[in-house]
Amino acid sequence: MRTGVIQESYGELISLFRNPTQTYWTWALVIMSLAAPVVLTGHVTSLINGMMIAAIGVIGLNLLTGTTGLISFGQAGFLAVGGYTAAILSADYSMPLWLCVPAGGLMAAAFGLLVGIPSLRLKGLYLAITTLAFTIIITHLILSAESITHGSSGISTAKPAIFGMELATDKSFYYLVLAVLVLAILGSANIKRSRVGRAFLAIREQDIAARAMGVPVARYKLYAFVVSSFYAGIAGALMAYQIRFVNVDSFSLVISIEAVSMIIVGGLGSTAGAVIGVVFVLGLAEILNYVFSSMGGAMGSISALELKGFIYGLTIVLFLRFEPDGLMGIYREYKNRWVNWPFRY
Amino acid sequence: MSVLLEVDKLVKKFGGVTAVNNVSFPVLKGEIFSLIGPNGAGKTTMFNMISRVLPATSGTITLDGQDITRIAPHKIAALGMGRTFQNLAVFKHASVVDNMLVGRHSHMKTSVLGGLAFGPTTRAAERAHRKRVEEIIDFLEIQHVRDVPVGALAYGLQKRVELGRALATEPKLLLLDEMVSGMNAEETEDIARFILDLKEELEITVMMIEHDMGIVTDISDHIAVMNFGERIAYGTPAEIRADPHVIEAYLGHKIEEDTEAV
Ligand SMILES: Nc1ncnc2c1ncn2[C@@H]1O[C@H](COP(=O)(O)OP(=O)(O)OP(=O)(O)O)[C@@H](O)[C@H]1O
Ligand SMILES: [Mg+2]
Repeated sequence: MRTGVIQESYGELISLFRNPTQTYWTWALVIMSLAAPVVLTGHVTSLINGMMIAAIGVIGLNLLTGTTGLISFGQAGFLAVGGYTAAILSADYSMPLWLCVPAGGLMAAAFGLLVGIPSLRLKGLYLAITTLAFTIIITHLILSAESITHGSSGISTAKPAIFGMELATDKSFYYLVLAVLVLAILGSANIKRSRVGRAFLAIREQDIAARAMGVPVARYKLYAFVVSSFYAGIAGALMAYQIRFVNVDSFSLVISIEAVSMIIVGGLGSTAGAVIGVVFVLGLAEILNYVFSSMGGAMGSISALELKGFIYGLTIVLFLRFEPDGLMGIYREYKNRWVNWPFRY
Repeated sequence: MSVLLEVDKLVKKFGGVTAVNNVSFPVLKGEIFSLIGPNGAGKTTMFNMISRVLPATSGTITLDGQDITRIAPHKIAALGMGRTFQNLAVFKHASVVDNMLVGRHSHMKTSVLGGLAFGPTTRAAERAHRKRVEEIIDFLEIQHVRDVPVGALAYGLQKRVELGRALATEPKLLLLDEMVSGMNAEETEDIARFILDLKEELEITVMMIEHDMGIVTDISDHIAVMNFGERIAYGTPAEIRADPHVIEAYLGHKIEEDTEAV
């Protein structure tokens, strides 16, 4: 049995890593992440890039839906705003990546504020439907504002490059995405250990008590919308650079559902859970793609999209029913058992 | 002693129902004030109006000379009013420490960007407020559960955490709605001791709603009695005990209630 770790100062109590083991594991993970593209194939690296980009967006969604308790099916809409902003700025205005990606985030954040204000009085199902409608409206806006968005023909983005260095291969692009993901994780973890994240959680748990403790609830709900859509906008912009092309099909409604299923699978409110949820859901999708295409014939022609929708629905229902704390919940349970073995409590 | 809180002709109507009808009383600085009355008398509704959870239909509420009748509800904490709720309103999935840190919200300044970056200023603020919270944890003797999610604690401990969260707002006036209901004799005694300590050591004015007549007459300086939304008596414990209106309207009910509660 490992004994508990005794913190000696308040500084240690508020630090991100509670004990040396966590620090070692984090370093091991960093080294593995840096080495990964060297040993992996281009295809696998590209798959991981997709996962990391999704994770950036889902970490943001988790702050809104997991931590603050505001269910949102607006993810695809915010991704689209970020993706189109980056694509338009890079293709039509030849702006560099280091400006286009943050611009995508900021534009999405502005839209987040726009969606957040009318959503302040809504909860649960009504909020879900409103945010779903937002995603649909964005698609229509993109299709109709042809002069800016090129309508249904889509936009090809410039090759990703940063400070003169081309990131043309999946392997070089990997490092950019990894860096952004690390920042995204740190930002989310930081927010959650500050008064802002505690206010988010307080709103989810007991909004009346949160208000009585001094939290301006409406304002913090807007903050959650803005931060979350900023994350999604950044992810959308990176998506545009990864695929080198955006059109409305890249941001279909199923992505919103996929994103919510990821945070439910990973565990609502947990940053690590958001990442694990992305890996689980996208990994599962990849495996299914592989299985069905190798079967060929009629099965092979089932559209991957239809099947995905079905699988996401099923995972949401199963997790909510049997493991509401998600994979992180299972992990915590086993960890406690292992740490305290053979004692139970 | 000077007046800390003054409620004047307060009225609350829910549709056709008048839950509070023209109630006035002063709460003096530094005292323990009890609001009592049978079930449905309108006590919690009074607390909700005073703490701005519910808007008053008419009347005025004055805290330390300032009219707070229409102030934004989230500003109440910064003005020095803390409260607990009759039906426990703790943040169940957050740890004891985090629950109490939410109570520090209005004393902190961290912005969204400050939170994202967690730079030296944010870090220093977290450290300082964490220190204050640890002092409250020591005062309430709940060190052993500081990192436990509050939802996993026994009822009595959850109530204590809620008290701690209210204390973390650094209140001048503390509203406690049925703090000891559902507690055993020992827990009740602990709470009575805490409340006396609050008054004597921290000079916090305590306003409490209680059904437990023992604790009310033992520690209160003044008592107001409500029945059917009206204030039917106000005075010291001795005066209240001798008041014919109270004996008639309240103590009759009291006997029924006691048998109900068992
Ligand atoms: N939000 C509300 N909407 C409608 N009626 C309400 C509301 N809150 C309270 N009431 C009514 O107002 C009256 C007073 O209720 P209140 O909760 O203030 O009583 P109380 O004195 O706290 O009683 P108890 O001792 O049972 O807690 C009751 O008749 C109650 O049904
Ligand atoms: Mg009540």
